[in-house]
Formats: sequence, C-alpha cells, structure tokens
Amino acid sequence: MFSLSRREWLIGAAVLPTLAQTARAAAPDTLRFGLSSYPPSLQPWANTGTAALTVKTLLHRGLLMFDTSGQVAGALATKWARDGNTGWHFTLGDAVFHNGAPVTSADVKWSLEQIMAPTSTAYLRGQFEVIASIETPDAKTVRIVTKQPIVTLPLMLATPFAPIIARDSLNAVGGIGAGPYTLTSHEQGVSLSFAAFPKFYQPGHPKLKHIHMPVYADENARVAALQSGDVDMIEYVPWQSMTSIEKNPKLHLSAVDGPYMALAFNGGTGPFKDERLRQAVAHAIRRQDIVAAAFYGRGTVLEGLPITKTSPFYDPKYAHGWNYDPKLAKKLMAEAGVPNGFNCTLLSTAQYGMHLATAQVVQQHLGEIGIKVKLDLPDWATRVAMGNRGQYEFCVQGQTADNNDPDGLSAYIDGTLPPDNSRSYHLPTPEIHKLLVEGRAEFDPAKRRAIYDELQRVAIKVVPLASLCWREQGYAMKKNVRGFTNMPGGLNFYSGYSLENVYFA
Amino acid sequence: MRRLRLGPVVAVGAIATVALLTPFLGLANPLHMDIAHRLAPPSPAHPLGTDAYGRGVLSRLLWGARVSLMVASSSSLLACVFGTALGLAGGFLRGPVEFLALRGMDVVLCFPPLLLALLVVTLLGPGAGTLIPVLVVLYLPGFVRVVYAGVISVRTQDYVEAMRSLGAGRMRIMLRTILPNVGGPVLVQLSLAAASAVVLESGLSFLGLGVVPPTPSWGLMIGAARATMAQAPLLLLWPCLALSVTILALNALCDALRDAVDPHGMTRRAHRAGILERLAPGLLPARGPALQVVGLTIAIDTPAGTIHPVRDVSLTVMPHETLALVGESGSGKSLTGLATMGLLPSIARVERGAVWVEGRDVLRLDEAVLRRLRGEMVAMIFQDPLSSLNPVQRIAPQIAEAIQAHSAGAGKAAKRRAVELLRHVGIPDPERRAHNFPHEMSGGMRQRAMIAMAIANHPRLLIADEPTTALDVTIQAQVLELLAGLRHESGMALVFITHSLPVVAEIADRVSVMYAGEIVEQGRVTEVFARPLHPYTAALLASVPREDGSLPEPIPGTVPPPSALPPGCAFAPRCRHVAAACRTGVLPLMEVEPGRLTRCCRWSDLA
Amino acid sequence: MLYVLKRIGVSLLLVWVVATIVFLAIRLVPGNPAEILLSQGGVAPPPGAVAQLRAQLGLNQPLGVQYVEDMRRLLMGNLGTSMQDQSPVADEILRRLPRTLELIVAAAILSVLVGLPSGLLAAIWRGGMFDRVASWLAAVALAVPVFVVGTLMIEIFALGLHWAPAGGYVSFARHPLRHLALLAMPATTIAVGLAAILFRMTRASVLDVSMRDYIRTARAKGVAPRRILARHVLRNALMPIVTVLALNLGSLLGGTVLVEYVFNWPGLSGLLVSAVNARDYPEVQGVVLVISVLFVALNLAVDLLYAVLDPRVRQG
Repeated sequence: MFSLSRREWLIGAAVLPTLAQTARAAAPDTLRFGLSSYPPSLQPWANTGTAALTVKTLLHRGLLMFDTSGQVAGALATKWARDGNTGWHFTLGDAVFHNGAPVTSADVKWSLEQIMAPTSTAYLRGQFEVIASIETPDAKTVRIVTKQPIVTLPLMLATPFAPIIARDSLNAVGGIGAGPYTLTSHEQGVSLSFAAFPKFYQPGHPKLKHIHMPVYADENARVAALQSGDVDMIEYVPWQSMTSIEKNPKLHLSAVDGPYMALAFNGGTGPFKDERLRQAVAHAIRRQDIVAAAFYGRGTVLEGLPITKTSPFYDPKYAHGWNYDPKLAKKLMAEAGVPNGFNCTLLSTAQYGMHLATAQVVQQHLGEIGIKVKLDLPDWATRVAMGNRGQYEFCVQGQTADNNDPDGLSAYIDGTLPPDNSRSYHLPTPEIHKLLVEGRAEFDPAKRRAIYDELQRVAIKVVPLASLCWREQGYAMKKNVRGFTNMPGGLNFYSGYSLENVYFA
Repeated sequence: MRRLRLGPVVAVGAIATVALLTPFLGLANPLHMDIAHRLAPPSPAHPLGTDAYGRGVLSRLLWGARVSLMVASSSSLLACVFGTALGLAGGFLRGPVEFLALRGMDVVLCFPPLLLALLVVTLLGPGAGTLIPVLVVLYLPGFVRVVYAGVISVRTQDYVEAMRSLGAGRMRIMLRTILPNVGGPVLVQLSLAAASAVVLESGLSFLGLGVVPPTPSWGLMIGAARATMAQAPLLLLWPCLALSVTILALNALCDALRDAVDPHGMTRRAHRAGILERLAPGLLPARGPALQVVGLTIAIDTPAGTIHPVRDVSLTVMPHETLALVGESGSGKSLTGLATMGLLPSIARVERGAVWVEGRDVLRLDEAVLRRLRGEMVAMIFQDPLSSLNPVQRIAPQIAEAIQAHSAGAGKAAKRRAVELLRHVGIPDPERRAHNFPHEMSGGMRQRAMIAMAIANHPRLLIADEPTTALDVTIQAQVLELLAGLRHESGMALVFITHSLPVVAEIADRVSVMYAGEIVEQGRVTEVFARPLHPYTAALLASVPREDGSLPEPIPGTVPPPSALPPGCAFAPRCRHVAAACRTGVLPLMEVEPGRLTRCCRWSDLA
Repeated sequence: MLYVLKRIGVSLLLVWVVATIVFLAIRLVPGNPAEILLSQGGVAPPPGAVAQLRAQLGLNQPLGVQYVEDMRRLLMGNLGTSMQDQSPVADEILRRLPRTLELIVAAAILSVLVGLPSGLLAAIWRGGMFDRVASWLAAVALAVPVFVVGTLMIEIFALGLHWAPAGGYVSFARHPLRHLALLAMPATTIAVGLAAILFRMTRASVLDVSMRDYIRTARAKGVAPRRILARHVLRNALMPIVTVLALNLGSLLGGTVLVEYVFNWPGLSGLLVSAVNARDYPEVQGVVLVISVLFVALNLAVDLLYAVLDPRVRQG
C-alpha cells in the first residue's frame, strides 16, 4: 500500500501548480500521440476503425505500402512485377518479425490465406476472392495468381488491411508483425505504448525510440490536451478548432481533404426509386452551406463523384454534374410527377456532429424546393443496422474511398454488390458494375481513363450516391514535430505509415 | 394549508407564460437557417445573435423553453400520478402489491439512468415523446417512496382505523383520508422532479438521446454551443442562464410549497421587541413573586394581517404556590407559558407587557443571560414527552446536559446525578433506565424523565404544560403526586397548564381561566370551583363528568380563532347569559373580591 | 438473522431481475455487435465477414439458449468475454471500477465538505444574505450541466492557469501526485452539482429538525445554541441527508459518463456507454450487474448506517 508522509504531502502541495508544466517537458525520444478512440480490437486484417488502423501501421507491414507521395511503394517486398496477365511476382527483402524470425514467403502465404479463409472477418476478404492461388517458389519469392487480370492488386496489398503476420502468432495481441514499433504496454481504454523495433527492415527507421498513445475520445479534450502540452500530436482535429490551432504559434495544423459526405438512397422502395428524384436532390443542395455548418469552412464542395482534383481520372466535364440548380430540380420533380414535392425521411445519427449537421442542412434545402424531410436520428449502432437492412429512404454517409484510384469507389457506387450500409440499398447499377469490372482488368492507362470517364457520365445520371463535400481531415502537432505526412483523399486514414519518419526538430 | 408565498408562483408563472406566448411574439422562425450569417452578433432581427446555422438565438431560446418545460412538466406530472397511485396501492393494500411496488422501484433504481435512457431511446427512437417516458420512469421511485412512507405513517392512525371499522371501502379510505395527508410531500417532490427534469432533458439532449434537432431545446442549445465555445461563448451563456433562472424559480416554489403545507413551516424571522417597549419596560414589580406576568400581549404576523393569540394577560405566582392555567386548546395558555421561558416560536413576538421571573424581566434579557436563567431558575415540562425528548440520545445524557449547561462539573458527576434524579422521580432500576432511549420507555416513565430533567437544577419556578394529557389515568395520578411532592420539598413555584378541571382541583392553589387569548376569571381554586364568576368557567365545570353520575353538559360551539374574534366578550356567542352589553366595547378584568377577578359584566347575576 | 437472510434473498432476486431485463433489452435494441465491430469508421463490412463473426460470437443461437447459457455462466461467477476483443469482461470492470469509485468518493467528500456546512449556515441564517446568495449559487450549480462545468474548468485551470493537466488518467502507483492532480478536476466537477443537492437537503432538514419539540426542550434546559446544533439538530438532521447522498452516489455509479468523457477519465460509465454503442452484450450485462450489486450493497450499508444513527431503527 502506498502512503505519503505529511512531509511529502506538503512538498506535493507546493509542486502541484507546476506539475502540469513538469509533466510537459517530454523526453525528446517519445512522441505522445492523442488517439481519437481506443482500438476496439487489433485483429490484424479486420477493419476496426481509424484509430486501430493507425496502431496497426506501427505494428505491422504488408508486402507493399504507400509512400508519402501516395504512390505504392515496397515494404516487406522490395520488388514486385506483373507476371503475365493474371500473375504477380513479389521478392521479399531481409525484414524480420518482432520475434526475430525472418519474414518468409510461407508467412506471406499464411497471412494472405487467413484473409481469404471462408471463416475470415477480414476487410479484404471479398476483394481477395479474385486470387486463385498463392505460390512460394522459394523462401524469398511469392507469386500470386488471380482469376482475372486485376490492375488494383498492388493497391489492395498496400493498404494496412493486408499486413503480414508471423505464422500462427495470432495469440499475441494483434499478432506478431514486422512493423517499425512493438507494443510494450497497453491499458484498455486508456493508452498504448510502443518502442522502436531495432531490427526494422528500413535502416535508420523509425526515428523515435518511443510512441505513447493516450486516448482522448472527446474532441474538446483532445484539443485541450494538445494545447496544454499533455500530448505532442493529435488526430481527428475537430473542425471548429482548426483555426485556433493554426493561429497558435506553438502548433502546426496539417489538414487535407480526405473523406467525403454523401447521400445514399433506397432504390427498392420510396420516392428515390425514381432516378429523377435522386437527381433533383443532388441538384437542390447548396453544398457550401454544409461545408460551413458541419465543417466550419474546412472542406470543399463536391458536385460529382469523389475523385480528387489531383487524380489523373479527374474530369472537369463531370466534376460539377450535380451543381446547385433548384430550377432543374423542380423540373425533374415535375417530370417525376411530384411537382409540389413529397414527404420523406432522412436517416442520419445524432451521435456524430457532422452527420447531424449535414442532415439538418439537407433538410432545410430540400424544404426550399418542396420536399418535406423528416429526420431520423438514432444512435450510430442503430444507424448502421438500419443502413444494412435498408430501413431508410435516403441517408447521410461519411466515407473514404479505399484508395485514390477510381476503383477505390467500387464499394460505394456499385449497386450490384450485395446490400450493405455503405452504399445505396437495392439500387442496381449494371452499367456501373460493368465499367468497374472493365477498369479493374485494364492495364493501359489511356483506356482506363476512357472507361472511368464513361463511369462518371453514367454515375451523374444514375446517382448511385449524391456527393456533398469533401471534408478536411486534420492532424495537429507541436511546431517541432517533423516528418509526418497527412495523405490526401482515400489514403488519408493510412497516414500512420509516415509515423516511422517522425522526429523532433 | 397556509397561504402560499406569491413571489415564486409569480416567477414560475411568468416563465410558463412567456413559453406559452412565444408563438405570438412575432419572433424569427427558430428553424430557419441562414448559414451566411452564422454566429452573427446581436442585430435587430436577432437580439441575441445567431447560432452555428444562422438561426436566431432568442427565438430558439423561447421556443426551446416550450419544449424543455413541456417535457419537464408532463414527465413530472405523469410520474406524480403513477407514483402516487403505486405508493397508495402498495402502502394500503400491502401484501404482494406492496412487495411488487417497492421492489419494482428498487429495480428501477438499480438501473443506471443513462442505460435506461440509452435503451429506451434506441428502442423507441429519440424525441420528446421518448424522453417523457424515460423521465417518468426515473422519477417514479421518488414519488412511490414519499407516498408509501406517508401512507405507512397515517394508516395506523385512529381516524383511518375508525373509518375502516365503520366499513368504508378501501378506495374511499385512500382517497378521503390518506391522500390529503400525503399531499404536502408529494407537491414538494413534484416541484423537485420538475426542476431536475429540466436539467436532465438538457443532459440527454446533449448526448443525442433527447429532443431531435432541429427542434430547439435548451439542452440541444447547450450541447451545440459547447462546440463553438471558443468562437461564440455567449451561445453557451443564454441557455445556461435560462436554465438557472428556471431552476431557481422552481426551487423557490418548492420551498414555498413546503412552507405552505408543513405545519412547522415558518415564514418570518423572529421580531425583537419594539424600541419603545425596550425603553419603557413594564412597572417594576414588588419583590417576592416567583413569576409575575404584566399585561402580556403576543402577536403573530400572518399574510392576512396581525393576530393576537394572547392579549393583556397578567399573572402572579408566589414561591411554594401552584397556579393552574386553564382553558380549551387555542386559548393561548401554552403560548403564555412559552413566553415565560422566552421560548416563543419565531413567528410570534411579544407586542406589549413584561414577564418577571425571580425579579428579572425575561423579555428584555440578552439571549445569553436568558439561556443561563432557563433550566436553572425556571424550567418547563412539555405535553408530549416522546416528541420532546431527543430520539437518538439516551436518557442519562439528556438529563446530564441540563446539569452541565449550568455548572462546570465533570460529565461523570452529572451522569451520576442524572441517575439519582431518575430514582428521585420514582423510576425503578434507574441505573439501567439511564441507558435507555426515549422510545424504549413507557409514556409515564418518559414524563418522569422529563420532570427529572426539569428539576435537575432546583428551579424556583416550574412550568408544566399539560404534563399529564398524554398519559392514562393511573399514571396521571402518579405524576401529579410526584409534582406535588417535589413542590412541597423544594418550595418552587409551579405553573400548571391544563384543560382538565379535575387535575386543577387536585394540584393547584389558585386558578386562572383563559378564553380566546384572555384571562376571564382568576381566584383560589376552592372559591372558583364552588362559585364561578364567569359563565365560561361555569360551563367548563358543567362539562366535566360528575361523581354523582349526572350527565356532563358539553359547551356548544368552538373557541373563535384569533383572526375572527367577535366584538365585546369573546365568549358571548356561546354564552347562555349573553346580554346586549356583552356584544360591544372592551370588557375589563375586574377585581370583584380580593383575589377574585372576572371579565364578565354580568358576574353579579351569575353569583 | 432471519431478517438479514431475507434481505439478502430479496437483493439476489433484485439482481436477477435486473440481469434478465438487461439481457432482453440489449438484444431487443436494433444493431448487432458483429456488424458494428466491422463497421468502424463508416466503412462497409463485407456481409460474409459479419455472418462469420456472428457465428463466432454465438449470436446465431436461439434467445432462450443464449439466456440459459448466460445465466449459468453468471451463476458460476463468470461475467464472460467481451465481444470486441475476447478479453474477460470481469478484468475490464475490475480495472475501471476503482477509478469510478475513487471519483465518486472524492466528489462525495468534497461535496459534503462544502454542502453540509453551507446548508447548515443557510438554515441558521435563514432569509439572510448568506442564505440568499448560497441558494442562488446552488440553483446555478444545479442548472449548469456537468459538461459545461467541466469544459469551463479545463479552459480556466488547465489552459488558462496551467494548474492541472487537461485530463487523462495515470495510475496512483505509477505517479501519485499526477494521479491526484488528474483526479482533482473531474471530482470537483461532480462535486459542484452534488454539493448543491446536499446544500438544499441540509438546509431543509436542519430547518425541519429545529422546529421539533425536543429542540425546544433543549433550549428550555438552557443548553448553549452551539451545543444544541451539534448534539441535537445535526444528529437528527443527518438521516435524510444520508439518504439523499446515498441515492445520489448510487446513481453516480453508472452516471459519471459526461465527466469521464470531458476529462478523459476511463471509468465504468464510459465503459457502459461504449459497450452499449458497440452492442457488446456481455460487457453491458457485466457492467450493469456490477452496478446493481453495488447499488444493493450501498442500500444495505445505508440501512446499517441508519441503525447507527437512529436507535429507533435498531429496534424495529
């Protein structure tokens, strides 16, 4: 039992006011990173949220990863190349796992087969169905054969959803990986601590000896922790705090457009079976109001499919296909036989401010053209369940593409896939499906561009989802924290990859 | 029920009125967004500025009041109705109903309120309609407990038993007798619940479990304002302020209700005697009497005006003497006794007159000096020994406390003395009894303990306020005997306040008869009883059961309340001998024979 | 003895009823754990993965089978494992419970230190300046929600004055002083509201008791006012105050979520809310069970305290 003498108490009382300061003078070899939530699970291949993804980028590496420019780069595999139309060749480097064992082709095969297993809960399980076989000609070579030609396989393997884990090591927390850091301690719901892995394959990396990740679920608490110096860096900066952080001379804000907000529709029942009414909705919303109200101006109006301006597939012709045009919206409604509007219910959630604010603005703007919207605002869990079951007429979505290739949007716009809360319900889109399949199998860049141009044209008409805006995703840090890259667009949640580069100036 | 103080009622009423009138105030639409002008400063269109969606804050505040107050009032009212019904049923029907009602409430209390809200809201969907049942369930246990406790305390009382024996139906008993008795605490609970519901509504709405946006409510406004605290701190201030003022008004209403329904509730602070009275105290009395009361008039200020429950009372009690103060309840005899001790309740004040105890003017003494006088020179015994003894303290320390209050002696000596005193007042096995709590003793024993406490410091004057009323006849006789013996051996003066004439005959030397706040007759007991000179005395005597077996004659009518005294003789409306002269003017107390006083103008006709 | 046994029996019955209601209610609520676990961050869970996870978690079994299984497990004293990371629920609760208790106890001490004396003084000087000012303050304290109080405190004491860290938790064993510094603000925040409740209760109770006959008796004995207050008024006024305090502490067991949230204090309520949000059935049931057992125990303790405070209770 710990007890303090009276004397110690007096000393304690005397130093108490300075305690906050002394605690702030951090050791320069430890980065204190304020997480937005405690990872519910560190199961290596499942998607259990952004915070978990960040943690997993510390612990694990896959065959490939994304570099700071957003390009696919080698990780455990140093070289990779196509081998015929359906084959891919990967050559492993000299990486070792945290237990000291070398990373072998057998570990790679085992890990990828865990993802593909019929009992798997892995995020990429569906996409990996394209893989026909995994061959291991020798300990350093892996050959993946696909059922059809697929151009996006490296993109899949570069995400943190496909880490390579030492064979049969799943009983360790999160499995034994080969990432830049090892987990030294963790307290459920409170914090995780990491130490640099000395035998990391990249010499000189990671740059910092330790990373400590306390969890701050409340956004105000997270910002306060950064402002008071309790942490060096935070993720998920709330939009209303971005300006004050930018103005703070001691802090640096890194914010890029990453995820986007959109509306998904129920194509099975209700008014939005009619694509003209979906178009009417898409044309009836002044998107800058959503940027202002939900994101405090921290976002960009999005009037076409969520393809970033920097992408080679961005096409200005279709980028404003759903521009604000209430007259056109009224005309479309008249054509659909409801010139004076109709009643409908918008599903969102009260649990997340941005979903709530977006819903309120949409309600207001649709009201202006005569569509009377009732808001349905259950908690997030119910919202997800209702989304999966199609218990809505249209709903607010906040999502991120899997990557910055147009194929990264498949899960959100391909209505031919099974029903799911992330896309419109019972809204078949055969044309879009066909184009996505073609694009995936096409290796010629010019031909791919043509395919995705056509896809954008069709999507503007069919409205598989009505995009609203990009939202900025911010990381904030002390001025002396260097080397972190906040990746744009679909790669935003993979920004944790760059934590191995972080150092104190 | 007393009159309700108006301030809190007006305040709550004003808030409710503003909320009700909001639609007619011509305010901006609380739902209309103007995002270009979000977080705008005050303007003529929006006197308190706009929120994060460019909606008028004042308009949302007032419309929000409607929602917040509607939720609060309907949920607390519903909880009140259901809770009262459950509590009544549980307390009165007993058996399984009682078990279910009480344990059911325990189950509710076991549930974290938040979980309850989470579950109900996720089941039924958020909104005011869901919020109300959640709050009702949360407040139910409070009402059930209050009502149940009330029912338990009254269900054994005589009148309920009487009604039961008369064959009244259970429902009727519940509605007619029990409900009015538990009404007070329920009202208080109601206002408490309403106040707390306003706060809870805000908390649950903040968590997204309450009112659905964009409908304005104070909780939603506070929750939304927290996000923009850095940009627009005032957005947080307004709803918090509205909430505070409402809570304050509801709390004040709750206090006022408590005062109004609680018989103990006192509304005014003690008044000190007026300056004139302090400068010109009553005449200095002649040396000698143990107690002399001169022209004592006691006033009580009520919302309806000042009443005088004791008027112009003068008494003299010599050492060794016993004076009986007789009258029906409400005649002012107890107040006179309390004034003698300087122990008037805080609402009552002495308007005129003086009270001399052993030559010292009690009414003009410093409280510290008076305190030293009390318990030492003058002591008092009260009517109900059970309620007059501290229930959580043993008997011996309560007696020892009286001793130690007036001497610096050690605690042990005082305890020993306490045991001696217990023996002295005739309590068997005093060593053991000294360790008893009041509730462990019989009524007679408690009164003996009270007497032991009173005589602990050999007072010169003992005031006994109906000391035998709560006791049965045998015990009564023993206590009277004890008092007479004590007086005999110590030579103290005794003022014996009672409504029982046989007791007077037994113990007193002289008697003062009081009626409606005045002394109407005074004289030696033997003379007064043999030949009453006031019709009231005569009527009192006639109402006593006689030994010869002839029937007692009750006095028709009741004592008039001090607020509605008739002009002239206060007894005139009940008097058989009333004449025209009795109904006008002020009737003086006349000394018709040496030591015999009467206030009746027709005394000679009576004799 | 029989009375004690009967009480314990009734308490067990109570806990069982609560457990059953929670079992049913949490399953009645829409949303299922597998789906939510795989839908973090607004990304789509592959339906196959959801079905797999459901099967793994045993959610495909009929409700009755699940219930019998659950109750048998609980009877053996096993709270089960979390559906999120398969860690034992009991471990997590044992980690969190002391933190919440610590918070509640600290808040209770603070609020008693403030609420009791101020309520007493307000009763003594009824209608006076102190009474009025304190009553106003109490109303404000009751009206301002804890999340606002907490946020203001962080703004002032952590960001403005740098007296304390902005929030978080460090175990006492590792960092005793910092632990206490971190405890101070959330405990104070809870204490603000609790002190206001205690203030009102104390004031009312003292006023009520001071009108009683036995206080008049004490005055008639010539006992000094201070002693009357200490020996007679306070002692008797304590009962209703203890009741109210206990009831409030009981509801705090699962009701500190907002404070935990604002100050990043990883306590039991936060666990309950996140468990409900994740529809982690065993965790929700475990937390509620522990809370209700504690609540029942608290009630028992209050009854015992009654017996200490009031000899009349001892007898009946």
